[in-house]
Amino acid sequence: MRNLLQQLGQFFMKKEQSSVPFKVLFADFKKSLELNNKILDIIGDANDKLSGDYIFDEHYIHSICGRLTDLLRELIVTINHLTSQKYPELFSSFHKIEEDLEVILQGKVLSQNVALTLPYSEISRDHIDAVGGKNCHIAEIGSHLGLEIPRGFAISTAAFRAFWKKGNIDEKVTQILEQWHAEEIGVTEASSQIQTLILKTPLPDELEKAILAATAKIVGKKKSTVPCFAVRSSALGEDGVSSFAGQYQSCLSIPPSEIPQAYKLVVASLYGEQAMEYRLKKDFRPEEIMMAVACQLMVPAKASGVMYSYDPLRPEAETIIINSAWGLGEPIVSGEVPTDHFVLERRAPHETVEMQIVRKDESMVLTGCGALNSEPVLDEKRTKPSLKARQLRELAETGLILERYFKAPQDVEFAVDQSDKIILLQSRQLQLHFERQPRACDLSGIDGTYQALMRGKGIAAMEGIASGPVWIQHAGRNLDDFPMGAILVARHASPQLAKVIHKAAGFITDIGSTTGHLATVAREFRVPALFNTEDGTKVLQEGSEITMDVECLTIYEGLVPELHHYSLQEEPIEEMYEYRLLRRVLRKIEPLNLIDPESDTFTPRNCRTYHDITRFIHEKAVETIIDISFYHAHHRDTQAGQLLWEYPLDLILIDVGGGIEGEHEQGIRAEQISSIPMQEMLRGMSWPGIWDMTPAKVDLNSFMSSLTRTVPTRNSRPEDVGRNLAIISSEYTNINFRLGYHFTVIDAYISENILDNHIYFRFSGGVTDTARRSRRLKLLGTILSHYDFLCELHGDTVVARLKRMDRKSMLKRLFLLGLLVAFTRQLDVKMINDTRIEQYFKEIQTIMEESNVN
Amino acid sequence: MSTEKTSILILDDEPIVSKRLKPSLEKKGYEVETFTRSADALKRVEERRFNIVVTDLKMEGVDGMQFLSEVKEKYPETEVIVITGFATMATAKESYNKGVFDFLAKPFKLGEISEVIAKAEAKIKRLKR
Repeated sequence: MRNLLQQLGQFFMKKEQSSVPFKVLFADFKKSLELNNKILDIIGDANDKLSGDYIFDEHYIHSICGRLTDLLRELIVTINHLTSQKYPELFSSFHKIEEDLEVILQGKVLSQNVALTLPYSEISRDHIDAVGGKNCHIAEIGSHLGLEIPRGFAISTAAFRAFWKKGNIDEKVTQILEQWHAEEIGVTEASSQIQTLILKTPLPDELEKAILAATAKIVGKKKSTVPCFAVRSSALGEDGVSSFAGQYQSCLSIPPSEIPQAYKLVVASLYGEQAMEYRLKKDFRPEEIMMAVACQLMVPAKASGVMYSYDPLRPEAETIIINSAWGLGEPIVSGEVPTDHFVLERRAPHETVEMQIVRKDESMVLTGCGALNSEPVLDEKRTKPSLKARQLRELAETGLILERYFKAPQDVEFAVDQSDKIILLQSRQLQLHFERQPRACDLSGIDGTYQALMRGKGIAAMEGIASGPVWIQHAGRNLDDFPMGAILVARHASPQLAKVIHKAAGFITDIGSTTGHLATVAREFRVPALFNTEDGTKVLQEGSEITMDVECLTIYEGLVPELHHYSLQEEPIEEMYEYRLLRRVLRKIEPLNLIDPESDTFTPRNCRTYHDITRFIHEKAVETIIDISFYHAHHRDTQAGQLLWEYPLDLILIDVGGGIEGEHEQGIRAEQISSIPMQEMLRGMSWPGIWDMTPAKVDLNSFMSSLTRTVPTRNSRPEDVGRNLAIISSEYTNINFRLGYHFTVIDAYISENILDNHIYFRFSGGVTDTARRSRRLKLLGTILSHYDFLCELHGDTVVARLKRMDRKSMLKRLFLLGLLVAFTRQLDVKMINDTRIEQYFKEIQTIMEESNVN
Repeated sequence: MSTEKTSILILDDEPIVSKRLKPSLEKKGYEVETFTRSADALKRVEERRFNIVVTDLKMEGVDGMQFLSEVKEKYPETEVIVITGFATMATAKESYNKGVFDFLAKPFKLGEISEVIAKAEAKIKRLKR
């Protein structure tokens, strides 16, 4: 590397026409690439930590944020240096993200940064602190699990804060509470004073408007019927261990215009006597006392009920309990009316083992807004079961889906609408009462009781315990036939397996990476996943029941209730604060929103994450170097020109010393290139045999034009031409390809001195479907590792490094990269199934052998 | 093989470490006690001996280095494993000088620490014989 810089130095000392020597620009460019690589590596590593297989602490999260922030700042300074301060706006995007991260790291962000109201479609798991458990869970059930929920929205804790500020409720409440704590007034007096204060204070205009707007949006699509809402509490901690069940107010059958008033009623119930005393006993901190509110369109229910996914008093019985009656659910939940009682087996197909049908004389019906009446049940329905056998089975299946997703037994409220559809109204954790609490230390004995089919093999893509029958995915088997609650066993962790994520209890694969698409999805949906078991598909038998314990890398024969019961009691790790925090910070770091450099939105202002900034800068760095050295020829001293090749690859070459020979006014011919690494790359890219291996006949030229866009004239504007750039010297090559939506960066220095030799290769993504993209990455990973590269796969990126090999071996591998660059681009359409990976791998090996002979 | 369980003390001021490690190690048959404050951990080692001690280095209050020195002094045969988020060569070296069994930089995988603990356990059993 030092050689190269010396070369550059000498080169530019001779020619000093330009204001900024290319040497300086090139140093900036190199630096931006190095920073870019470092940043993407840290981001990839951080996502890996979410698998549950790592022990990390808050310090780690702070430290990666700190490192990323430093690197990003340096990167922005660098690009501005390179471009003579062309992108100062990057700093403001950057500072915005940096500030958000700061707030998130303090553990605060969510409730402060959210809107006053949030529709259910926009709520995700990490909004729990902003919208409360009830809202958050029901929204997740709708958006994540795709189950039926009522339309609705949340009034956030930000709204609560805004209300609290108005008219100084905050201070006055504190005063009243102090009087109560000092026993100057009783709890009844304190509660009544606070509630009166809340009801008397008008809502801030902004909040009232927001509530009415959110309501109108929900109602908008349902003009035919008179819409009315249920307005309920969704307080922080309400769904968790601290049980406030039944302490807060619910307002039913509320017309849209009265929702703001109902909101106040619900919020006032935060200071009901019972709730106040409960909080005092549990030592709640003032900042924890907040209420979000749920507003849901009411379902004119034919029948309603409650389901427990486990019998809370006899969990060992492995049954599901359902209680239901005709009409709306309110009197059922509060135990005011007799209900039908069903007991089903937890194990599919969920046979009904017990059924008690009671006489149901009355039911609550919704006859219009504000009209909620108890009415006599039709005679012929009084002694009929309120749920059909089909509905019972569907409920049982739903219960297990919810339980798998929330990683705990569930207490579910549901309604059956007029078209017999089951709609979920609420789902929360159910406390079980085991005769003996399952404890981790008791589990050390299970190895003697249960037979392990596999042990110590594989890597944890997602932690957890799962049991179910084995379903082996083999070629041609239709994933649509995958049964609910089975464990999917497959050769590869292919992304298309994610299709059964709602049904699968777990995933086991022979081959697979913890950073691939399926692993990410498994984490998102919390489905235990064990990859790389080598021979899971051979050892495990179709249809046999197994229990997988990912943490211990063990698969047991049959069901292991001890493990399962234990896992139900354990706090799910991904619910721990550190996991939530890491997910929150990653949302400001990882997503890539800027994909298309040609689009109008590809601007500094639109950079919303660190990844966006990094991506933007890389694009602009390459563009700038091409622009300065080629189009504007500020540096007549640099030898810059377009490659004239038999294939129309829009490649700009910049020679910084001994990389090109002879005259090149009209462009550079391949045989003029004297840069050894570049020669080898091009030899690989133009290897004749490589095209013959495609299953379909492909015309070479048409293929190459799909590989790059062909805008051959030198006179066209820079933005019309591809951004393919190679900076070369006799021993060095730095290549930046943007082919369609893929990015390839290759940096190679190859000399006689083994210690200086290196190759860096980064290939990323594109916007094709994830299945094919991931197969392509897998193929690249397999090939590169085979040829001694140190390989990392993160999401849709492969990074491969190679150092310190002799010249001949390095060149052989550059030839390989040439093959891969051309080949993988075309593979997009060809990677139709996993068997292609092994097939292409073999064919590449054959070419490598042939090329060596020549 | 002795039927007595190998005892492990874990000290880390970040609760997630203990929360995550304890059940995982108990499942493997170890007896585990966890602490987030070094003063409490010190008090506990006054009362009883542990076969293995897993400790963080940088914590508020008593420094992890000081804690492990006291443990090694009192029970030279106890194996100490250091886990830290601030790994430097100097701290690693210092801990090895104090007779630490192994040194793990956070974040680490569950499998990695289990492996180190299994090795420490094997060493203890070998010395007992």
